[in-house]
Amino acid sequence: MGLISGMLMGIVFGIALMAGWKHMMRYRSNKRIAKAVDIKSLSSLNRDDLKKICGENFPEWISFPVFEQVKWLNKQLSKLWPFVADAAEAIIKESVEPLLEEYRTPGITSIKFSKLSLGTVAPKIEGIRVQSLKKGQITMDIDLRWGGNPNIILAIEAALVASIPIQLKDLKVFTVVRAIFQLAEEIPCISAVVVALLAEPKPRIDYTLKAIGGSLTAIPGLSDMIDDTVHSIITDMLQWPHRIVVPIGGMPVDTSELELKPQGKLTVAVVRANNLKNKELIGKSDPYVVVYIRPLFKVKTKVIENNLNPVWNQTFELIVEDKETQSLILEVFDQDVGQDERLGVAKLPMIELEAEISKEIELRLLPSLDMLKIKDKKDRGTLTIQVLYHEFNKEEQLAALEEEKRILEERKKLKEAGVIGSTMDALDGAASLVGSGVGLVGSGLGAGAGIVGSGLGAFGSGLSKAGKFMGRTITGQSNASKRSGSSTPVNSVQENGGAKPL
Amino acid sequence: MSAMVGVLKLVIADDNVGVSTGLVIGYYLFIYFQPSDVKDPVIRPLVEHDSQSLQRLLPEIPLWVKNPDYDRIDWLNKFLELMWPYLDKAICKTAKNIAKPIIAEQIPKYKIESVEFEELTLGSLPPTFQGMKVFVTEEKELIMEPSLKWAGNPNVTLGVKAFGLKATVQAVDLQIFAQPRITLKPLVPSFPCFAKIFVSLMEKPHVDFGLKLFGADLMSIPGLYMFVQELIKDQVANMYLWPKTLEVEILDPTKAMMRPVGIVHVKVLRAMKLRKKDLLGGSDPYVKLKITESKAPSKKTTVKHKNLNPEWNEEFSIVVKDPESQALEFIVYDWEQVGKHDKMGMNVVPLKELTPNEPKVMTLDLLKNLNQNDAQDDKFRGQLVVELTYKPFKEGDTSKDLDNPLQKAPEGTPPSGGVLVVIVHEAQDVEGKHHTNPYVRIIFNGEERKTKHVKKNRDPRWDEEFTFVLEEPPLKEKLHVEVLSTSTRIGLLHPKETLGYVNISLADVVNNKRINEKYHLIDSKNGKIQIELQWRTSS
Repeated sequence: MGLISGMLMGIVFGIALMAGWKHMMRYRSNKRIAKAVDIKSLSSLNRDDLKKICGENFPEWISFPVFEQVKWLNKQLSKLWPFVADAAEAIIKESVEPLLEEYRTPGITSIKFSKLSLGTVAPKIEGIRVQSLKKGQITMDIDLRWGGNPNIILAIEAALVASIPIQLKDLKVFTVVRAIFQLAEEIPCISAVVVALLAEPKPRIDYTLKAIGGSLTAIPGLSDMIDDTVHSIITDMLQWPHRIVVPIGGMPVDTSELELKPQGKLTVAVVRANNLKNKELIGKSDPYVVVYIRPLFKVKTKVIENNLNPVWNQTFELIVEDKETQSLILEVFDQDVGQDERLGVAKLPMIELEAEISKEIELRLLPSLDMLKIKDKKDRGTLTIQVLYHEFNKEEQLAALEEEKRILEERKKLKEAGVIGSTMDALDGAASLVGSGVGLVGSGLGAGAGIVGSGLGAFGSGLSKAGKFMGRTITGQSNASKRSGSSTPVNSVQENGGAKPL
Repeated sequence: MSAMVGVLKLVIADDNVGVSTGLVIGYYLFIYFQPSDVKDPVIRPLVEHDSQSLQRLLPEIPLWVKNPDYDRIDWLNKFLELMWPYLDKAICKTAKNIAKPIIAEQIPKYKIESVEFEELTLGSLPPTFQGMKVFVTEEKELIMEPSLKWAGNPNVTLGVKAFGLKATVQAVDLQIFAQPRITLKPLVPSFPCFAKIFVSLMEKPHVDFGLKLFGADLMSIPGLYMFVQELIKDQVANMYLWPKTLEVEILDPTKAMMRPVGIVHVKVLRAMKLRKKDLLGGSDPYVKLKITESKAPSKKTTVKHKNLNPEWNEEFSIVVKDPESQALEFIVYDWEQVGKHDKMGMNVVPLKELTPNEPKVMTLDLLKNLNQNDAQDDKFRGQLVVELTYKPFKEGDTSKDLDNPLQKAPEGTPPSGGVLVVIVHEAQDVEGKHHTNPYVRIIFNGEERKTKHVKKNRDPRWDEEFTFVLEEPPLKEKLHVEVLSTSTRIGLLHPKETLGYVNISLADVVNNKRINEKYHLIDSKNGKIQIELQWRTSS
């Protein structure tokens, strides 16, 4: 035993101590990691996993639907509902009224809420599904059902008749709301939210109309007109591919990627119609055709008088934003004193078309696009059209956007000059076709002015208020928001000062 | 930390060079040359696990599997998982930015040259919610209890330079399990519909982590980990363990509740030089006044027939909720026997123009509408003279009762007695045989009070408050609450119907001061009524 052996013993002891510590470290570290792994793997269980864990004693209260149930959220929502209803009423009134004004059909001169209360029944969230369809985005689908008892009274002024109060009863809404969250690396980590109603399953909004102190039949076609207005607003603003983009977080972000942009151009030649129904007592119908992809931007042919087999041979160009989901709608009307009567309607889904191939198609005219509403199988004649779909390349898309900018300015000037803003309805207005170009006229704004140009002309109008409203309901704070989904080179006019990213 | 230093000191003091050398060699051998990177753990799908490792999983099974009263929120987990890489970067960036000035301020005190983050990431594993439970009470609040587990793999490495030496401190494998209770209250009728968030922990949280100094994990020194963990738990528990709460204010509750803050007294004196609207004779003017941003019905003066310079001298009191934004609107109409009443002119007085408690006589020019630029508005339409006095409620009257729903009885209440407050909130499942237009009748000591009628509703909500001033506490009395329905049609058949009633004994209220409960209605199938009772005394 000497100094050296003592030293050696010491060294061995020291090393052993360290080795022990190391062992302890590894043990604790492994334990923690194992726990982390366990928790992670249990954070998204599916049925098979659970079956494996529980074996025979599978808990019966558990199910795994595609849309995950959120009972707790519904409980909270029903409790919160009276307060939400109170808070939302003013906002809805403020933001929906201009929309109604914008989309109202000719025949109604003014439409306003005279009473709006959302009732006592809260909407129910049937389920939520979260997916990642694209990198940097989270897609959340919310299956929403609302069989509410709201009390909505609309004050409607129709031509000829003074204001009549119309009550909207038994409102039922079934829809899947899709919210896409654009992720960012800054707090709050979401730079924008895109909100839309999924087209499939089709949003269902049912209601019954009741005239207060009178009968709906007093004004023929009024309930159809209201249906049309509501339907246009939903399909043209909210239903996918149309969407509302709400930037979040206060910082300026480029949301142009998220917005709907012109994708291509559809050249439609309305050739002729055959065997139209005669609706006139004396002589024959005076048919004309209204053509559109989005109801806000309609074009029409000239009227051919006293003919059930009219030949128009007129060509229009329409902008397509989403070939997958949009459709071309053709409505044949009979010009008449007073209200023009619809002879039939036809629909051509854009997805059936191949790019750059001209095609002549004969379409059967139907009484209505809503298959549920069709009662008779009577033949209403056919409509022959020639279509050519052209997909934009980058430059053309840019040119379309540039054109849009130019038209926006032109529109502003016209507005200042007081040309637009006349109360004439688009379809009745002397409008539309000048030169080789096409003038698209927003029906809500009405116009006696067509735009001349070789390109495309259009009117749109600022619906940014609607976006604002959505923004408030979603985020609880109001940000400048942009509505996207203009079918023509028209984007929303940013009346609340938000700059449009181009 | 101190324990290790103690051991080292002991060893060195013993002058046992061998042990210290051994420690140094051992350190280099086992710790220094080992990589200390944080790796992403390998996660195998559950199907691949054998029964033994499944057994080990059992204690970690989420609450929603075990308990039917917990809801699964895997959609939120998925959301969080997708968002986590972005959250990680955002949080780390913010943390660095916040820490930097604090470090810069603190280091000179300790003679440290620099402290900086060498590594800062929260890792690849996001926190997970293992279930969500909500509680429904009769109060205006939302209560939820998520079970939160975060077993992450973050890597926080701090480089410290002092006296020419560099040391690294690394925190790894942070694990936090907690069960917070989140209460949102009070609920208010403006977005986001609640005014405050209260967070408190229902149990002591579980905290575990590794802390490496020079690469050696201090937390694996036996005993030390337990000590530190307990210390942290106790610290957190002291601050947030239920019933202690963390309170976050979202909205100013007084404003959000839209409570009345004052009353404006309006005296409509007279109008001058009104314009003639009727073809025959003069106009028949009357004034309609209302306050903006309010659902209260507008008030009207009497009609002065055939008078273009009418004198009314009529007084009105209007409740004010926000004197900063609200305004009084005066519209002069021409009364007609038949048809629509013509508007003769209008004007608006913003309430902020009034000095509290000071009467102000104003002469208003009548305008066609409020649009300032309207060219047609130049015409003279006459003038309206009004006297306005804004009387705000005394300070503290409104803010206090929000925190404490129990108010004191107002002055003038008999000393031995008090005020009985009955608030009729809502009813559920009330149903009449012929009609359901429910209202509530309250009978107490022969006094009868009624709520408004709610038309065609089986789940009516009234939220109406009634007060009874009493000489003595109502220890033996009962309160009779009855839900009735009247027919909307005029006719002799079934004009009135009882939908159910309940007698509530008041002794409990006197003892408890406040009771908020749902009572089953007698003579009703499933009907329930929610009644809040308060006993306010002056002491």
